[in-house]
Amino acid sequence: MKDSSLKTEIASLKLENPHILASGILDENGYTMKKILEEGAAAVVTKSIGMDERNGYQAPVIADAPAGLINAIGLANPGIESFGDEIAIAKGSNRPVIGSIFASTVEEFANLAIRMQKYRVDAIELNLSCPHVKGFGSEVGSDPDLVEQIVNELKLKVPVPIFAKLTPNVTNILDIAKAAHKADALVLINTVRAIRIDIHARMPVLSNIYGGLSGPAIKPIGLRAVYDVYRETGFNIIGVGGIETHEDAVEYIMAGARAVQIGTALMTKGRKIFGELNSNLLQFMEREGYSSIDDMVGIGVVK
Amino acid sequence: MITAFIKRKERKTPTVETIYFEWDSGILPGQFVMIWVPGVGEIPMSISHIGREKAFTVKNYGPTSAAIQALSPGDRIFFRGPYGRPFQTVSGRILLIGGGSGMASLHPLINNSSFGLVAARSKEEILFADEFTDENLIITTDDGSEGIKGNVIEGLKKIDLKKFDMIYACGPEVMLYNAYLYFRKIGVNAQLSLERTMKCGIGICDSCSIGGFQLCRDGPVFFMNELEEMQEFGNFKLTYSGKRVKI
Ligand SMILES: Cc1cc2nc3c(=O)[nH]c(=O)nc-3n(C[C@H](O)[C@H](O)[C@H](O)COP(=O)(O)O)c2cc1C
Ligand code: FES
Repeated sequence: MKDSSLKTEIASLKLENPHILASGILDENGYTMKKILEEGAAAVVTKSIGMDERNGYQAPVIADAPAGLINAIGLANPGIESFGDEIAIAKGSNRPVIGSIFASTVEEFANLAIRMQKYRVDAIELNLSCPHVKGFGSEVGSDPDLVEQIVNELKLKVPVPIFAKLTPNVTNILDIAKAAHKADALVLINTVRAIRIDIHARMPVLSNIYGGLSGPAIKPIGLRAVYDVYRETGFNIIGVGGIETHEDAVEYIMAGARAVQIGTALMTKGRKIFGELNSNLLQFMEREGYSSIDDMVGIGVVK
Repeated sequence: MITAFIKRKERKTPTVETIYFEWDSGILPGQFVMIWVPGVGEIPMSISHIGREKAFTVKNYGPTSAAIQALSPGDRIFFRGPYGRPFQTVSGRILLIGGGSGMASLHPLINNSSFGLVAARSKEEILFADEFTDENLIITTDDGSEGIKGNVIEGLKKIDLKKFDMIYACGPEVMLYNAYLYFRKIGVNAQLSLERTMKCGIGICDSCSIGGFQLCRDGPVFFMNELEEMQEFGNFKLTYSGKRVKI
């Protein structure tokens, strides 16, 4: 048996383990982020923050789905001005905090990134992928030219690593991935556009009608995105979508991810999931003879 | 989504109604559901009656609760749940402290020896006081229109807290925080059921969180020692957008 290490790196961001809290799940309140970091997450991504305060949609903002969940929170956030306190509280854990931002123009993205950097985030994640708010997210992120402009501008303006989070709701995610080639890493994937109808109420459950599907239901879709982009480009990738166990995480890593994010599993497993993933992954690596995460990255890809 | 039919309704105060419905499910004192009025909205609702016949007791304070009160017997209700960590029940003598519609979540705990401290803004708003015997009841009202004039602390001062095996409280956070400080001073244990903005009810959206804990999943019922760790209790909360505000 070898000594194995869970450490991994994405650009200049050093992580104690590959398990990161995904954007939008338990990351609006600094105290929650701090607790999750203390309970074993290597880093947290904040909920996506915009220029102005937004209430998001009225409840119902979530609907259940087979092996998953559909959400339409609607980019609720307090606005960048008010978010510094939460980041400062979360950073009390001495672990990395990744600031997620959303906007509709290059200028706003740049403005938000500069503000985030002043709050001393360790990296910035661009939400180019929320599937349920007009004018933002996947509407921006399905236009390769706009994606390229945003990423290139931010790489000029801010020194911290820039991660681009892409949407699977496009014909060819590779085109978007290539447009974002200057990003320090790609985050794949955001939720898959979906709806539910209540047959007794005879209407959609979500107040916004449309939401994004997450959870185990989308794991094979996320894996396919990671696999294709890694095989074609070899970029740094953070895998997201339906991860509940260390086996799921390993699958993403073997498809080419250097780290993974976990969201919906916080509902099924609770906050303790991070501690469990860490110890189970370490045991797996020792059993199978991997000394580092790097040993596993992309080894499942058929060249 | 679970559906059920309304059996009957009882008006409790000018703003509060108890709505009975048929639902074959085990639910524990202090738990809640997320109730949905199609086309209007979804709000958390504690279950006030947990026997064979279930009921919730709803105060009219916004569009969704108004729409719920506008429903009639025979109408369908939509909800998901039950959610939340329930009150831990004990044998022995219990004290129930309810502020306003907070009495609704304490209602399942009422038994023939329980003592009630019922706090309300005014006489008309007093809820479930009639379910305690006269010698086991203290009422406080902010305006003095019934019982002791003043807040819940004025009532607590009249009670020997040490003679109870457990104290349960539910109501607005300011009231609970003051009660918490008083319990700490006297040195008694208690379970407090808190209320915060809730969107998901299942521990992922963070809108209900307090000191790193999710009210909808780790709570809404917390013990004194758990509250002690929560810097935000009685102090700060997040609004619907996620903005931090002073309580
Ligand atoms: C309730 C909820 C809110 C979300 N909010 C955001 C968000 O604000 N920004 C973002 O980039 N992704 C958001 N997501 C997407 C997740 O970060 C993640 O990409 C997706 O849920 C797939 O991972 P999972 O299956 O582990 O949840 C949200 C997901 C959920 C379930
Ligand atoms: S209501 Fe969403 S975490 Fe509690």
